[in-house]
Amino acid sequence: MKINILYGTETGNSEMLCEDLESEFGDDHELEIMNLAEVDPADLDLSVFHVFVSSSYGDGELPASAKPFAEKLDNSDTDLAGLSFAIFGLGDSDYETFGQGSEQLADMLVKHNAQQVGPRVIHDAQGDDLAEDVAFPWFAERVAEAEAMSDAA
Amino acid sequence: MTRKIAIIGAGPSGCYLAQALLKQDATVEIDIIDRLPVPFGLVRYGVAPDHQGTKAVSRQFARLFERQGVNFIGNLDICTGAHGGDISLDELRAIYDVVVLATGLSSDRKLGIAGEYLQGVVGSGVLTRAWNDHPDSEKAELPVPGKQLAIIGNGNVAMDVLRILSKQDHEYDGSDFGSHHAESIAAAKVERIEVIGRSPAGIAKFDPVMVKEIGKSAGLKFEIHDLDLGDASDAENPKIAALNGLAEIEPDETRCTISFRFGWSPVSFVGTDGNLTALHIARADGSETLELPCDMAVTAVGFSDDQRLGRMDLIDSAADLGNGRLDDGLYAAGWFRRGPQGTIPDNRSDSQVVAAAIAQDLANMPESNAPGREGLFARFDHLTDYAAWQRIDEHERASCAEGRLRNKLRTRRDMLKLALNVTETTQ
Repeated sequence: MKINILYGTETGNSEMLCEDLESEFGDDHELEIMNLAEVDPADLDLSVFHVFVSSSYGDGELPASAKPFAEKLDNSDTDLAGLSFAIFGLGDSDYETFGQGSEQLADMLVKHNAQQVGPRVIHDAQGDDLAEDVAFPWFAERVAEAEAMSDAA
Repeated sequence: MTRKIAIIGAGPSGCYLAQALLKQDATVEIDIIDRLPVPFGLVRYGVAPDHQGTKAVSRQFARLFERQGVNFIGNLDICTGAHGGDISLDELRAIYDVVVLATGLSSDRKLGIAGEYLQGVVGSGVLTRAWNDHPDSEKAELPVPGKQLAIIGNGNVAMDVLRILSKQDHEYDGSDFGSHHAESIAAAKVERIEVIGRSPAGIAKFDPVMVKEIGKSAGLKFEIHDLDLGDASDAENPKIAALNGLAEIEPDETRCTISFRFGWSPVSFVGTDGNLTALHIARADGSETLELPCDMAVTAVGFSDDQRLGRMDLIDSAADLGNGRLDDGLYAAGWFRRGPQGTIPDNRSDSQVVAAAIAQDLANMPESNAPGREGLFARFDHLTDYAAWQRIDEHERASCAEGRLRNKLRTRRDMLKLALNVTETTQ
């Protein structure tokens, strides 16, 4: 299946996770990885399943590379009806704003009529698991759901 | 022809630079060289021990060495002129096609006021390196916290210092803070900490999240003074909101009071028999002065260059400093290039800019027979490698106390024992 993977990153951890997703799933799916900093929400291909990966930064803010995308989307009436997406977060549960970066992004996409597939899962930097160990099974499940949806359609 | 690149400094800027350069040109051969036997610089020795989430970037850097073919060369001291060291910068430039300086700025900026050299006054860099068990701290004589402390500065480093001086021993689970440090701070039973900032609160340098974090430790009471300065009354300002949040905390039992004062400049430290007893501060316009009794004062007012690589001359004569170009085949990145401002992510962006300049220049660089790392291996037998770091890392993780992530080796001697598999080093 064709899947666009879009990351919002501040320190590069989300970008690295996307590279890991490509190594793990790139043979089975047609993956395209993009930095959100280089994506205009109006240019999203609504027929393609999108996976967002985003950290939080500072006081539960969006990471730097997601901010221009979020601002453009927020200040537009871009209609994302028809777009299916899943979203994975990176966070640090030491802070009460844990995972708010990905939450903001998810809320914004839904507000513009995109449809979220499956739960938003957040990797916790305080936990013992590596991000990819949490993200790989999550990604496989979301892709299976998206495939089932497109088969049904 | 494979280009030989040496990046000096294995901290975030150097590692991000290697990462960005490999994305531009996968054919280059990169060595990241450090003065210390172990990699990761500021991530290991500057980022606070209870900020393990921030230290998670080291996974990206580890990958450079573990998967992407970057070579780590530790325990090699590079200097200019009369500063000693193992090899001069000029000699190194003759061995490599490209040399990048990414050694950061580690010296504490001095206030330049009377009494700064009294026993009891310490710079935040010296202090946090000691808390992080940096091997240069082995012989550092640090002041022992007493009952009343002062912190000068309002940046995130000052907030790190404040947090660590005010947290309790049992609040370090999941960190790599040495028990010996946590216990000595706890034993001091600090009663009052004065935090002095020159700016009004609304434009103080700290990030609000750093201030909020300080309020999480139990038993702290906060006095926030001078909120009426400047536009500070704006409750929407996130810095003011964070401070107001602290002021609302009402502990059942107060073990320590933290006082924030804004709009004050330090005037002098005063002492008796060479030991600090008080800090004098004044309003910028001299309208008011205040004496704050204290037995330890930490200056956290920024960082400067240690001169060992002749930074000022290199920066002054730089060909294109904006893109990191100092001279033919010589570049600078991170704080070494820009000066002491900006966070780890800022240095990531900085390194991407410099990597792009290097990749562009490589295309036009004449052919060379630079030997690269072989030139170093032929000359030195005390260098450490990434496998040595992995042995040290494993040892530190295996030997740590309950609730801690690692127990850092504190001396070069102990590191080199594991790194070089020798009982006595040649140094």
